[in-house]
Amino acid sequence: MMASSAPKYPRRRHPAPATHTTLSVDAPIIETERLILRGPEAQDFEPHARFFADEKRAWGFGGAESRNGAWRWFASSIGHWLLHGYGYWTITERDTGAVLGITGLWHPEGWPEAELGWVAFEGAEGKGLIHEAAFAARQYAYDQLGFGALPSYIIPGNTRSVALAERLGATYETTFENVGHGPSMIYRHPSPEDIE
Amino acid sequence: MTGTAPHIPTLETERLILRAPQAGDFDALAAFMSSDRARFVGGPVTLRRDIWRILSNIAGHWVLRGFGLWAIVPKADYNAIGVTGGWRPETWPEREIGWSLWNTGAEGKGYAHEATAAARAHLYDHMGWTTAVSYINPNNTRSAALAKRLGCSIDKTAQPPHDDAYGPCNVFRHPAPEALQ
Repeated sequence: MMASSAPKYPRRRHPAPATHTTLSVDAPIIETERLILRGPEAQDFEPHARFFADEKRAWGFGGAESRNGAWRWFASSIGHWLLHGYGYWTITERDTGAVLGITGLWHPEGWPEAELGWVAFEGAEGKGLIHEAAFAARQYAYDQLGFGALPSYIIPGNTRSVALAERLGATYETTFENVGHGPSMIYRHPSPEDIE
Repeated sequence: MTGTAPHIPTLETERLILRAPQAGDFDALAAFMSSDRARFVGGPVTLRRDIWRILSNIAGHWVLRGFGLWAIVPKADYNAIGVTGGWRPETWPEREIGWSLWNTGAEGKGYAHEATAAARAHLYDHMGWTTAVSYINPNNTRSAALAKRLGCSIDKTAQPPHDDAYGPCNVFRHPAPEALQ
């Protein structure tokens, strides 16, 4: 547990105004029992590139991408924080710092509302780690950002994500055509009041 | 909640402010990207989600590279009229200085020159750049004219980007920092 005097969601100290690649996203750090969720950093690109190169993993997240496409997506994900003040956290293992995946709030132009999303990178599944991360991100969104009952958009057939959504207490609401993305199922999470 | 853009410097010229890209720049960027004016920068792009991805990509580029594109804002206005600055996506062989003006109303006033000269000076003086190129489509005569006005000349030894999305291009080499002193 953190000391009671420590801020609940500390922010990473910024270096002095940069002359080279030391810029960072002003993202809060979320700590859970086994994980640290932090803002995306440049060194997270390689795990993202590996994920997007793996069609079997990436299909549920819009499909595989070339290394260039992965870079563009990752830069855009960082930019999401800069433009909205929230976005995808990088999920890291507390003990090793290993990058396990991403979870957070995603609201590009054209999305009907901000959704809670998650991705497990290779080897991160089967231990409840992504559930632990997504649960904490949702709690942050409710407690600190003031969001109401969040949706998660899931491509039909992505049974692993459906299982996780249901484990988080979300229920199927409807299916809609997500422009440029194809049909998406909406799973609706319990509201902040439902959880208390 | 508004976004944050830590440590992206704001530059000031006689008539312009160069600042971090913001969510509020979306509509002006969308009008540009969905128009024929964007034909030399990978457009036209019509899907709003894809245009938003371009804007967020421009913002995120700053964090990944430590430099990026500034939004160009006339002091008399609030709205961005284009971008200029450093650019190096994954397919670029070296660091580029790129620019675009988003509407015809902003042209003919020397804004792109004023903004890009200031951006280049900042990249050279404060971000450690020692050289720079600009990749310009052979049909983009306006940008080629600006490159020449900025002192650039075609560098036939330089590699163009290996990215089919942008078509052929000439590589313009900027004067070295010493040559601008």
